[in-house]
This record gives sequence, structure tokens and C-alpha cells, in this order.
Amino acid sequence: MKSPVVGISATDKVFYLLVNTVLVFLFIVIAIPLWSTITLSFRPNSFIGTNFEGMFLAPWDWSNAAYKALMGNNGFIMAFFNSIKIMVYGVASALFLTVPLAYALSIRTLPGRVFLIVIILIPHMFDVGMIPSFLMVKDLGLIDKLAAVYLPTAVSTYNCLIMKGFFEGIPDELKESARIDGASEFTLLIRIILPLSKPIVMSVGLFYAVSFWNDFFHPMLYLNSNNLMPLPILLRNILMASGMNEFVEVSAFGEAPIQAIKAASVFLAAIPMVIAYPFIQRYFAKGTLLGSVKG
Amino acid sequence: MGTKRMLLVAMMVGLLLCTPLMAQGQRETGGTGPVDIELWYGAAITEAGPPPEDWVGFQIIKDKLGINLKLTALPSNEADQDVKISAAAAADNLPDLFMVRREVWLRLVNQGMLAPVDDLYAKMPVRTPLQYDTDSIGFTTIDGVSYGLASPGSIARNEGVLIRKDWLDKLGLKIPVTLDDYMQVMKAFTFNDPDGNGKNDTYGYGAFIEINNFEEGLGRRMDPFFGAFGVAGTWNMTKADFGLNVRKDRYYDAMAFIKRMVDDGVIDPNWLAYKKDDFRAAWKQGRFGIMREQNAAFAATSNYAPFDKNFPDGEWIVADPPKGPEGKQSVGVYTSQYRVYAISDRATAEKKDAIARLLDWMSSKEGYYLLGWGVEGVNYTLKEGIPIAAGVPDAEYAFTGPKGQPYTQLRNMVFYNGEVELTSRYPTYITATSGKEMSALRVLVDMQSRPWTAAIASDTLPPPSTDLKRFYEQGVTEFITGRRALNKANWDAWVAEFDKLGGKAWEEEARSVAVANGLLR
Amino acid sequence: MDASVSVPSSGKSLVRRIQRHRAIYVLLVIPITYFIIFKYIPIWNGQIAFKNFMPRQGVLGSAWIGFANFVEFFDSFYFWELLRNTVMYSVGKLLISIPLSIMLAIMLYECRITVLRKTVQTLAYLPHFLSWVIMYGILLGLLAPGDGLLNDIAKAFGGRGIDYLTNVQAFPWVVLLSDAWKEMGWGAIIFIAALMAIDPTLFEAAIVEGATAWQRVRYITLPSILPVIIMVVLLRLGTILSGGFNQLYMLYSPSVYSVGDIIDTWVFRGLQEGKFALATAVGLFKGLMGLLLLSFSNRMTRKVSGSSLY
Repeated sequence: MKSPVVGISATDKVFYLLVNTVLVFLFIVIAIPLWSTITLSFRPNSFIGTNFEGMFLAPWDWSNAAYKALMGNNGFIMAFFNSIKIMVYGVASALFLTVPLAYALSIRTLPGRVFLIVIILIPHMFDVGMIPSFLMVKDLGLIDKLAAVYLPTAVSTYNCLIMKGFFEGIPDELKESARIDGASEFTLLIRIILPLSKPIVMSVGLFYAVSFWNDFFHPMLYLNSNNLMPLPILLRNILMASGMNEFVEVSAFGEAPIQAIKAASVFLAAIPMVIAYPFIQRYFAKGTLLGSVKG
Repeated sequence: MGTKRMLLVAMMVGLLLCTPLMAQGQRETGGTGPVDIELWYGAAITEAGPPPEDWVGFQIIKDKLGINLKLTALPSNEADQDVKISAAAAADNLPDLFMVRREVWLRLVNQGMLAPVDDLYAKMPVRTPLQYDTDSIGFTTIDGVSYGLASPGSIARNEGVLIRKDWLDKLGLKIPVTLDDYMQVMKAFTFNDPDGNGKNDTYGYGAFIEINNFEEGLGRRMDPFFGAFGVAGTWNMTKADFGLNVRKDRYYDAMAFIKRMVDDGVIDPNWLAYKKDDFRAAWKQGRFGIMREQNAAFAATSNYAPFDKNFPDGEWIVADPPKGPEGKQSVGVYTSQYRVYAISDRATAEKKDAIARLLDWMSSKEGYYLLGWGVEGVNYTLKEGIPIAAGVPDAEYAFTGPKGQPYTQLRNMVFYNGEVELTSRYPTYITATSGKEMSALRVLVDMQSRPWTAAIASDTLPPPSTDLKRFYEQGVTEFITGRRALNKANWDAWVAEFDKLGGKAWEEEARSVAVANGLLR
Repeated sequence: MDASVSVPSSGKSLVRRIQRHRAIYVLLVIPITYFIIFKYIPIWNGQIAFKNFMPRQGVLGSAWIGFANFVEFFDSFYFWELLRNTVMYSVGKLLISIPLSIMLAIMLYECRITVLRKTVQTLAYLPHFLSWVIMYGILLGLLAPGDGLLNDIAKAFGGRGIDYLTNVQAFPWVVLLSDAWKEMGWGAIIFIAALMAIDPTLFEAAIVEGATAWQRVRYITLPSILPVIIMVVLLRLGTILSGGFNQLYMLYSPSVYSVGDIIDTWVFRGLQEGKFALATAVGLFKGLMGLLLLSFSNRMTRKVSGSSLY
């Protein structure tokens, strides 16, 4: 029998070697195309060559024309803030709706629980599509209002069930000892369950945030006013212009090649998420659950 | 106190969170006074922003015409446009005036969602002579009633076959005339290092699949080769030989020629995977020496500049399309391109009149210049009556500059391919790097003088079903890639299957429409 | 007091239980109202699948045509192909992306080199944010027949290039692998969160018992996150006939329609023809299939591992 303190066994060495090798391999596989896209966004108009050669272009040859063009775009700042609005209100509504729902469904002794679960599963699977949803939004009078963008998708059954699963994992002893101490259900939820569920609430919040941030379909469908348009609309117009009747004599982007514009626009759109994720990561601390049961 | 109450309060707050955030769009006025008109337009420059709220046009329209104009820019992707308009139609929520593509427009007419506009032509004394001729009115007439206002779209025959003159010179070749000449030149461009850089990185022909409702199959970029066999475009619109070109014998010969190009490796192998922007980037990087391209996409300042910088000695010339075995040649098919603006059936008579006033004003001298270029002295100056971007105090606000472009987003509603526009949009200029004199207008005139096949109104013929369309496109591509062996037996079998799937019926349906509307010449 | 008592079914204690849980029902009021408004009204509107929908006549006024829309879908020349492609991609992604995500999550969890772990963890989720429009450009650069990276390498070794994007054999792999590349890191997030919730004392006990790292993973880590894995798989099975639209719409072209056209892309092209009722009918069909599949798998997994979705 080996002591855990003295050195690691041979099989364990192999294990960790494998883990590290695979991670390095994944690093390369993920990084290379990402790097290719980054260099693409900084590519000057004068560059000739394949994307592969482009990856080795020296940084001093890079051109920030694409980024300048995008950020100087009139609508860009406004679209950016519209997106932030939609995301913030969207996540707030989503969590406000999802958390109580998930918690209620996690209570095993609740009468009618299975019935309720089925109720939320049905719409998830019978995605009736665009027209029935559009008809509903119109009847609610929400056309051309920001709420039309985030309310219809504010509760995702997927996220709800994931959260429910986590709530179910919280030991009953915790809940019982709180009830014995005279706590009401609301207090229980807010003072005890939620702090323990930080990882899952943060994750789900992040999922919602990303889907709201990237959503172009609902804004395109429901919004008409130009001053409400969020970022994905702007980007999709740039990325996917068909332009059959185009008057292409003048580009709004001047110096930068169109592929650089596309790549740059994608990175600009991703920035808030990229910044937010490391913060969220901190909430994934090991052993949060453990601490509360013991203590 | 209790957490219960706290929670109730939180829930109330949550609900209230939603309400003020149902933020309204632009302010709406109601009641008597100015009429509210909602206009969904196709942006002229997809990536620039919409006209700002302080645009002087809004004020003029309100004061002079009594209209509160509310603008919505349609998505720049055609599929997205269709979806947005279709969804609005399904909910009976169409805007007052909107731009719409013909297929969707036709369906809306059949569903009774559009207002007849025959009475409006007379109410637009300035605009109608400029924009709505008999062809235009015919384009939107179904069963004797006109349901849309068809404005001229992009100018016809604005594409051409372009060849790298410097490559021809370097290899000592003459401008090709026949199909065989073209094949020789393409081979030379591919294998004889025409750019002299010692690398085997050039090709003869470059293209991408660009399909629309009257240029099916392999699309318009390959039409010069189909034209050599007299089968360019989807339809043959002659009285003598009307029908789907794909069902004609010569189509097989054209396919065989293109297959030879693919097999011999003289066409850029990426052509099937390219999207438009990739294709354009490729010719600017000197990948191939022959292509079919649009005049402005080729010769306008910002489009030609990258090529010029990379290849200061490079030179493209417009050439005649290849001549086939029977002496036929054609760059492709052309029709009058229209941009249809429809009016919702829900619009009141007052609104329809307002729309007529609005459109007529747009085509007046004041509206034309305002929407087309902006404010004189701020966005443009006049030189011999032609608006130019030079001479304005702040270059960023010139109509070609980043801040000025949003002001001209509505220009598609007033342009009619008149002299002033063309000269202004396609000025003669000196290139930055090589000092050449370039003019998209000269290129346009040159391209228009080449052999073309008339297929007027072929875009008004009934479209195929989704499955038939896929069968057509998938089939021809599979023959070209070699997935299906291209020989006469296989081809005939495929055409027979095409007919069975509905191809023959499609042709017959189109024939009756064409005859009924007198479209065959 | 033991709260995890098996629920008695007699009427009196049912009323008592409802009483006991009344606070929970209050919690449920708003979410369920939301569901009724925002999810079930559209389902009610979904009856247009059985109608010849005319916008002027509205949902109720349009004429019944029974299953005609469904028949149009089933009768499509390409119906079986569409079905096969859709299922192929959904199942393929399930079999490739999910195991990869799990593997990545575990690797990150076990990795002892902080620098490596943090770098890969930060990098892995980034591809998720690249839209398929950009991905297409990346793939073109990698796979283009003329000058893509892979073909350049192949030619350097004397081989011939493959036209990955337009070749029907290669295309499905391009779709599956590019999706794995893009979603592996993001999909791992949920598993990482699950791993973080595992009680570390379990591991400590195992080490004391002399378990190797392999054994630790096999007997503790995996079983602990098994409920999450099952839930993720089951939920994805429920939407097996959906998804993949954005990717395929960008990547496909006529040369690969036979393996690239899925139900959603076909419906999308039909939408441009205004076939709303058809699109809705297809949505219902997909839902029905998903429901059957879901209840079947739910029962199976409950038998096999004791945990299930419901």
C-alpha cells in the first residue's frame, strides 16, 4: 500500500503525462485557427497570400484599419449599448423567472411536480417556430419594443432543468436544519440555497447572457426602429450582405479588406463575454458546498 | 418585516423591471396633423448607419408634405429581408411603404395584402416620367392591376469579361476570340507563370456560384461560356425557341466545356467554395487572369485600390466573351432590374396620397439631390452640375466619407440611372499607386457594348419549387465536380428525372405566363 | 424530521402536503404565468400547421386542411435524405462533442500545471463566440482545395488535395469536427461546474485507500457527474431534429446538398416562399419525434443508472 504523501506511482505519472499532453495538443488545435482569425482582423490591404502565410505576418505590419472603421461607424456605439441593455434586462428577467421555477421543481415532495416538469418540457420540444411566436408578440403589443427581444426567450427549459438538477443535489439536512430554525421557504431560498448555488447560477446566467448578446434573429424580426437595433444586426449586415442590387462604388470601410472587417467585427462582438468569463470563473470555487454542510 | 414581504417586493420590482424597458422606438404622434408613414427601405450602403435623427430631410418632409416619416432599414441579407417582411405579413402587420423582392411581393399580392397603385402614377407628375415606364408598370401588374411601384434598380449589362492584359503581354498572347482561344489562354495563365514570380499559383479563370431567379444552375459568373452555346441564363426568351435552357441540347455541350476547364485545372479550384467576398479578394490578390465582374466592383476607387497597390503594373481590359462553334457569343442575359416598393392594403386613402406626395417630392430636384448626395456645401459641391465629393469643408462629411454616407442611405429610392448619377458615382480618377486613369463609367459603357442576350422579364416568370430548384443546382454541380459522370447518357437521364420532378410542368407554366404577357420576342 | 419520506397518496395528506408547500406554489405563480403567455400561446397559434393560413383570416379564421401540410413535407422528394442528414449530424455531434467536452473538463480538473490549466481553460471557450460566418472563412483557409493549409501540406508530401468543403464524403466530417472544435470548450463549462461541486473528501478518502488517478476518475469523478451527463444528453436528444442550421447554412453549397441539407435549411428555403404553415407543421413533427425519443431514453436511463430527467 502506497502512502499518498511519498511520490506518485508510475501509473499516476502516465496519467498526468497524458493529461498534460492532451491539453497541450488541444491548446495548439484551438489556438491556431484563433490566431489566424486575429491576424486576419489586423491584415492590411496590401497583403497578398494565403491565410496560413497571414498568420506569420509581423506585428509591425499589422493594420488596425478594420477596428478603426468599425468603431468609427455611427451606429456601432449605439448598437453596442442596445446590446448591453438587452443583455442586462434579459439576464435579470431570465434569472428572476428561472431560479424560482428550478427551485420549486427540485422539491421532491411537491405534489404535481412531474406534471409541472412536463409542462415546461413540452414547449422546449414543440418549437412551433417563428410565425406562431410572432403572432403572439404582436398580439401582446410588443412589436418594436425591446422587451420583445428578450422576453420570449427569457426562460430556457435547458437551463431550468440544469439548475433544478443542482438544487436537487443540495443535501436535505441543510434545508431541514433551516426549517427547524423557523426559516420560511423564501428565506431558505435566498439566504441558504442561492449562496450555495453560486456556480450554477453564474453558469446559467452566463449562458443566458451569451445567447442574448449574440441574438440577431429576434431583434431582426421584432424591432423596426433604427435606434433600438443591437450589435448583432449591425454585424450581420456587414457579414452577410447579399447586395444583388449593390452600388459598390464606395465602401464605408475604405482601407481595410472586407475579411479583416468581418474578423474584427466578430472579435468586437465577443469582447464583453471574453471579459466576463474569467470573473464568472472565480465563482466556480471548489468545495463551496462542503463548507456549509460541515459548518 | 419578514423575508416574505421582501420577496413580494422583489417580485413587484421584477415585474416593473419589464414595463419601462418596453422602450419605445421613435416618438409617435397621433391624431390629426401630420400623417405617419412607416417606410422600410433597402439601405444603399449596408455597413454605414441609418440617417441620423437630426437629418434635415425629416423636417422638410414634415413641414412641406405634412408627413411624419418613420424609417426602418431592412436587413442587408436578402433572405433576412424576406423573413422579416413575411413575418410581418403573416401577422397582418405590414408597414405602409416597403421595398420587397419580387417572389415575396408576388405572394403578398396573391394573399391580398397589397394595395393597388394604379391611381398613384398620375399623382406623381415628376416621378412617373423618370421612373415608371410601361415596362415598369407591367412588371408589377397582375390581372390588369398594378400592385407595386417598380423603380429602376442596378443598370443593365453592367458586367463584362475582364482579362489581365499584362499577363497576355508577358506571355506574348493575343486577346482570345473563340472558345479554343480562351482555353489556350487559360492554360497559359495556369501553367506558364504569367506573373513571373516563379510560383505555380495562378489560374486561368476565376468565378463563384452566384444564382438568382433568372440565372440558375452554375450562375451568372459562368454565363460567358454558356453564352458561347446560346444557352446563357435560365430561360430562352425567343418566340421561336422558348424554354428552359437546361433542357436544350447545347446546354450539355456547354457543361462539357466547363468540365474540361475543371479537369484541366485551369479554373481556380476554390471556385465552388467561394462566396462573393472571397472571389473578390482573390482577383485582387492576382489569383486568376480571366473573370466576369461588375464595372463598379472592378473599377471604383476603393475597389480597385488594393489590386493597384499589389500590382501597379497589372492591367485588366474588357474583352468580348468567347465565340462558340456556331459563332454565338454572349456575356450573359440581362433584364431590367427593378426595385419594387409596395404599399400595404391597410393603408388608408389619406396615407396613399401622402405616399404619392412623398415619392414625388423625392424625385423633385430638391429631394433628388438631398437623398442622393446630401446638402450642397456640406456633403457635396457642384462641378458642371455634377455633385462631387471634393471641395467640402469637412471631408468626413462628404457623401463618400464615413460620416456623410448615412445621409444617402435612401438614394436607391431616387436614382434612376440618369446622366448626373452615373457621372457622379463613377468619376474619372487617377489611381494612387500606379497613376493610371480609371473610370467606372468608361468601363460600364465598354461592357454594355459587348454582345448580350436579352431576357427581358425572365425574372417575372414563375419560380420553381424548392425541391426542383435544389435538384437543378445540385445536379449541375455534381456533374461538374465529377460526382456524376458527365456523358450524354447520364445527362439525358438526369434531364428526364428533372422533367419528372416538375421541370416540364415548370416550363409549360412559364410558357403560358410569357405568352399571356407578350414577353417573347 | 426526515423530509425525504415517500409520498403517501391518500387524499387527506395530499391536501396537507399542498398546504405545507404553499409558499412554493406562490414562487411558481409568475414563472408559470410566463410560460402560459410566452410558450403556450404560440403553441395554440401553432394550429396553423393544420390550416391553410391566410394572414387576413388570422389563426382561427383560416381553413382547416388537416394533415395536408405534413403530407407536403413527407412527400418532399428529399424527405428521407433530410431526415437522415439531420439525425446524422445530431447524433454525430452527440457522440463526438459531448465526450470531448467531458474529457476536456476532467483534464482541466486534473491538470496540476496551473499555467497550462488556466491557459487552456481560458482559450477553450473562445471559439464558441466565433459566428459561423467567420468559421466559414477559417475553414476556407484551412480546407480550400487550391491553397488551403491542409491541402498545401498534403501536396508537399506528394499527395493530391481533397476538396473538403465540396466533397460529399469529406463534408460530414468537416461539419462534425468543426462543431466539436467550436463547442467543445463551451460545452465543458457545465461539466466543470459539476466537477467543482464534487465533495473533495471523497477524493481524499480514495487516495488514502491507495487509488490510482485512473481509478479515482473511473470510480468517483465520472459517477459523480453522471446525472449531469445524462441530463445534457437527454435534453439534446429531445431536440435531435433541430439545430445545426446556422452552421450548415454557412457551410453548405449545391455540391453537397445531398449530405448538407437538413430539415431546418430546407424549411428555411421554403420560408422564403412563404410556407409558414409548412414550417409550423415541420416544427410539430420534430417535436413529436423528440418527445418520443426523449421519453424512451428517459425510461432507459432510469433503468440503467437510476437517475433521469423526470
